[in-house]
Amino acid sequence: MLAYLIRRLFAAAVMLVVVILAVFCIFFVFPKWAGVDIAGSFVGKQADPAAVEAVRVKLGLDDPVYSQVWEFFKGIFVGRTYAAGGDVTHCAAPCFGYSFRTQQAVWPVLTDRFPVTLGLALGAAVLWLVFGVAAGVLSALKRGSLWDRGAMVVALAGVSLPIYFTGLLSLAIFSYGLGWIDGQYVPIGDSFSGWLGGMILPWITLAFLYAAMYARITRATMLEVLGEDYIRTARAKGLTEQVVIRKHAMRSTMTPILTMLGMDLGALIGGAILTETTFSLPGLGQKVLDAIKNQDLPFILGVTLITSLAVLIANLVVDILYAVIDPRVRLA
Amino acid sequence: MTTQRTSGRRKQALAAAAVVAGLLTTAACGGGKDDGGKNGAAGFNAANNKIAQASLVKKGGELKFASTQDADSWDTTRGYYGFMWDFSRYYSRQLLTYKTQPGAAGAELTPDLATDMGQVADGGKTYTFHLRDGITWEDGKPITSKDIKYGIERAWAQDVLSGGPVYLKDVLDPDGAYKGPYKDTSADHLGLKAIDTPDDKTIVFHLPKPNSDFLQMVALTSASPVRQDKDTKSQYGLHPFSSGPYKFQSYSPGKSLVLVRNTNWKASSDPVRKAYPDKISIKFFTNANDMDQRLLAGDYDLDLAQTGMSPQGRTTALKAHKANLDNPVSGYVRYAVFPQSVKPFDNIHCRKAVLYGADHVSLQTARGGPIAGGDIGTNMLPPSVPGAEGQKYDPYEMAGANKNGNAAKAKEELKACGKPNGFSTTIAVRNNKPVEVATAESLQASLKKVGINAQIDQYDGSQTAGIIGSPSNVNKKGYGIIIMGWGPDFPSVQGYGMPLWDSSYILQSGNNNYALIKDKSIDKMFDDFVTTLDESKKTQLSTEINHKVMEGAYYLPFTFEKFINWRSSRLANVYTTNSYNGMYDFVNLGLKSSK
Amino acid sequence: MTAPLHEPTAEAAPSAAEEAAVATTGAKAVQGRSLGRIAWERLKRDKLALTGGIVVLVLIVIAVLAPVLAHAVGQDPETHHEDLIDPLFGTPTGSLGGISGDHLLGVEPVSGRDIFARILYGAQISLLVGFLSAVVAVVLGTVLGILAGFFGGWVDAVISRIMDGLLAFPQLLFIIALVSVMPDRLLGLTGTSVRVMLMIVVIGFFGWPYIGRVVRGQTLSLREREYVEAARSLGAGRFYILFKELLPNLVAPIIVYTTMMIPTNILTEAALSFLGVGVKPPTASWGQMLSNAIDYYDSDPMYMVVPGVAIFITVLAFNLFGDGVRDALDPKGSR
Repeated sequence: MLAYLIRRLFAAAVMLVVVILAVFCIFFVFPKWAGVDIAGSFVGKQADPAAVEAVRVKLGLDDPVYSQVWEFFKGIFVGRTYAAGGDVTHCAAPCFGYSFRTQQAVWPVLTDRFPVTLGLALGAAVLWLVFGVAAGVLSALKRGSLWDRGAMVVALAGVSLPIYFTGLLSLAIFSYGLGWIDGQYVPIGDSFSGWLGGMILPWITLAFLYAAMYARITRATMLEVLGEDYIRTARAKGLTEQVVIRKHAMRSTMTPILTMLGMDLGALIGGAILTETTFSLPGLGQKVLDAIKNQDLPFILGVTLITSLAVLIANLVVDILYAVIDPRVRLA
Repeated sequence: MTTQRTSGRRKQALAAAAVVAGLLTTAACGGGKDDGGKNGAAGFNAANNKIAQASLVKKGGELKFASTQDADSWDTTRGYYGFMWDFSRYYSRQLLTYKTQPGAAGAELTPDLATDMGQVADGGKTYTFHLRDGITWEDGKPITSKDIKYGIERAWAQDVLSGGPVYLKDVLDPDGAYKGPYKDTSADHLGLKAIDTPDDKTIVFHLPKPNSDFLQMVALTSASPVRQDKDTKSQYGLHPFSSGPYKFQSYSPGKSLVLVRNTNWKASSDPVRKAYPDKISIKFFTNANDMDQRLLAGDYDLDLAQTGMSPQGRTTALKAHKANLDNPVSGYVRYAVFPQSVKPFDNIHCRKAVLYGADHVSLQTARGGPIAGGDIGTNMLPPSVPGAEGQKYDPYEMAGANKNGNAAKAKEELKACGKPNGFSTTIAVRNNKPVEVATAESLQASLKKVGINAQIDQYDGSQTAGIIGSPSNVNKKGYGIIIMGWGPDFPSVQGYGMPLWDSSYILQSGNNNYALIKDKSIDKMFDDFVTTLDESKKTQLSTEINHKVMEGAYYLPFTFEKFINWRSSRLANVYTTNSYNGMYDFVNLGLKSSK
Repeated sequence: MTAPLHEPTAEAAPSAAEEAAVATTGAKAVQGRSLGRIAWERLKRDKLALTGGIVVLVLIVIAVLAPVLAHAVGQDPETHHEDLIDPLFGTPTGSLGGISGDHLLGVEPVSGRDIFARILYGAQISLLVGFLSAVVAVVLGTVLGILAGFFGGWVDAVISRIMDGLLAFPQLLFIIALVSVMPDRLLGLTGTSVRVMLMIVVIGFFGWPYIGRVVRGQTLSLREREYVEAARSLGAGRFYILFKELLPNLVAPIIVYTTMMIPTNILTEAALSFLGVGVKPPTASWGQMLSNAIDYYDSDPMYMVVPGVAIFITVLAFNLFGDGVRDALDPKGSR
């Protein structure tokens, strides 16, 4: 078990390094090929050559990629100091970069925005797990019934509609139209009920899409499991249908669901761009879109890193959970 | 079929005109009717160039701004966005500032930190100002002439504090002899020779040569005082040290900003600012539709960016909440410009072919129509700049006979250009401005009819300076038509047109003279303008420059821009001002209730 | 899961397909050649799936014949009709978004372009991106998945790690970044074609690990089967076994997977257009229409409904068809 963990952790670390390298290439090397000067984009309306040059020095744009990457890694552990033109900026460890657009260190901003995204992802996950899995199981058990058909059509509708469409619709109906829900984000520290009021629509919108998918997968997996020999054995032993479903079928059904949950949660924690944009939630996704629009490289890099980290951790957790849930799976 | 459609079209136009006229008339009459209601909105256009509900203002309360856009920087030296300049008067003061009056009067200057408009000597080469008593920083220390000098000097440190306007730097130190306060080796870092501070209450400017707009430059936000011990250099924008009635309480870029009263500011020392609310907040949104809905619901008072509502909110507001809207002229001209380096736009006839081929009504519709977009642009000088003639000067009859395009004339010009069968080119447009993309599509469609095939290229709007601001890149990409807009930094042809039309402003990066105009007569007129102190002569020169630019057919103006801006029913003492291009004057906004 | 940013629509559906494929075809390859015929018999009885299949065919025909159909009603997707627009609000003057005999589905706000023609032409882009990116993913996924499963060892290790890496990589960030630095002319293509190609390649590239994992798993289990053993003991070469014995048995999961991947890709294209990195104007795509329509959701709801319904019908049809194919290929399902 320990050896397995260490091996997985090592693989995850290697992955992170690869991701960072890839992002560096995209934002530093590709533009160079295309003849775009990134330094210029960090400067405002009247680009003074001195200002462009200063940004170039501060960001180390003229250094070779490997040294830029090295500086970045070093910064995470010991902090980093940017200096140019008599202006010295210190970025304390853990330094995940510093944005010269907004004059902020990346790490504090990410930690500030992280709870919003985490709350969004977790809240939605609870909703979609409960409703998605329940709908899927019921559909599987009553295969071909009116319920089954109905639930699957609704699920297909959920899968087919883009979130910025359903999100706007939900705002238009429940917030602007009926006025039942305020729909504006309030930090949980300010007011719990306000926070709930701001999060409920994003949760439902997000959960609608995911629940649809989880329902479809649960149904498919459940049908498959119900056909397995060991289920027939269990039934033959005279166990009640309830026990068969709960004790045996559900366990196997949960395995693929968990895999998905791990990846989906990981990805959402890295920022739900469309949801956060639609509902003006000040989370990581909103920040990264903002950063992309402004070519604010340090933030793009920071969020990319967090996303990848979240996905990798989530996968790791899921793999370990497997062993707990499904005795057939052994750690390999 | 054809006739039917034409008549249909005419009917449409008539109906539209009727609606517009109706809207404006109801506004004119309706305004007064609503004004009586204490909690009601003031009426359509009630705050457009006039003051709405000044008598209802109460001290106190929280004034709430909403915005989809954060400032480029809140640092007084670095900010260049119009709304930032407008907003900065809450926490910064200058020697002179704009009068807090509606419309054209708001563009006139008045003393702020200074006791008067200054003494001019040496034929406009020396300006002396004396400071008022009782002017203080947010910690209670007095504001000195040295603080003002230091604040102005910061503009020299372009490598650290980029982004802001550099007019004073160009005028006071045209050769760039001074290296900026951060590289200044003198003990007090006040080495700029062009400014003297004989005592704490006196500041003297020495200009190498006179500039007719010097007072305008002294009134810019970038001439605000900054105290040396509070200068956090590149991070100053996160928390500028206040010299005005409000100070920063918290700021989280892209999320929120809160100002609270600066208790050390004394109303007696400030003839301009009323400081009605107790607290001023900005909340940043990412979804423009959502923000407009919140404004309509009354959760926020006004849009910080003041660039007009988005189509959905605008329609709802015009239909249901007309009394909360103003429809000011923004001071911006929206246009297409033809870089002469890209063939065949080196030939004036090919440029004229585009001018005649374009359907100006269609372009206006794409910009948002006559109300939300503005009147059809017929020349390049915005109406707020002295010397402008508005639609009266229409050399290509863009708002007249040729408003739907004149294919015959366009073909003639094409022939004269040696391209009787038309040509192909590329339209460059920012990808982050849907309205500009719509304009590009409209232009593309109308040019197709005269044989000009244009491809649309959307470039990254955040990289404007590096992409279309680089003439070599424009040439490489073959951008024959660039879609842009421009508004005056201060209301004069120097503050508007010089970067666009003067040959000395052609830069290799961050260029704004996209057309690459190198016309000696235009350069000469700018030189004359800068040294002329006579107002009527300045106005006349301004008109002449505009004519010269239009005769060169370098530009296709789309609209003299107008906006539909929202003002909540809570607001009192609201008015638009020419000094900030038709935005509301933020600094003296008040609320009707202190709650 | 490749795309943390554009969220569920494009990211979890592949795994749905994947799990479904695993669930239904695991170890059922023994049935051999008769499988196809049996499946077809089953599919014919599944009315919903057949309807889905027919709709898909109709959509393809519409996309191919878009210019002809648009011409037949006398419209094209790029002509402006400002005379049908209320200049004050920018919305169509007619009722229901300007629906009339001339304009079957109304006209676009502001420009007055014919929506019917734009939907027809938009089908070209949406289906092209949906199909071709699926093809890219399937080809890459199948080849690499088989290689990993069949050869095992370090080949498997390397390919599996690459797949993990791609799944953890923020796909949307990558596409947005790539689009903003891509030149306008590439390999002889210009304008919209560059964007479309870019979308196909990138969506396909990030999609292959899903199918790669399924194929690898299948191959792993198949290569230990008796008939492969038999072929091997008869002296068959590696490539003979790969292509003659393994590939035919992987067809079922691949088909299932493909039908489910296409709608996902269509939605990804829509999301990209929403974020402003999709097709270039004035080219129409459903995603671009839907995202433009958001600015008129209340004042001109028809403009939103039309592309929304188009996307919905297409995705629904592909999903129903895919479900049907999966059920048909599942020998246990009919029990």
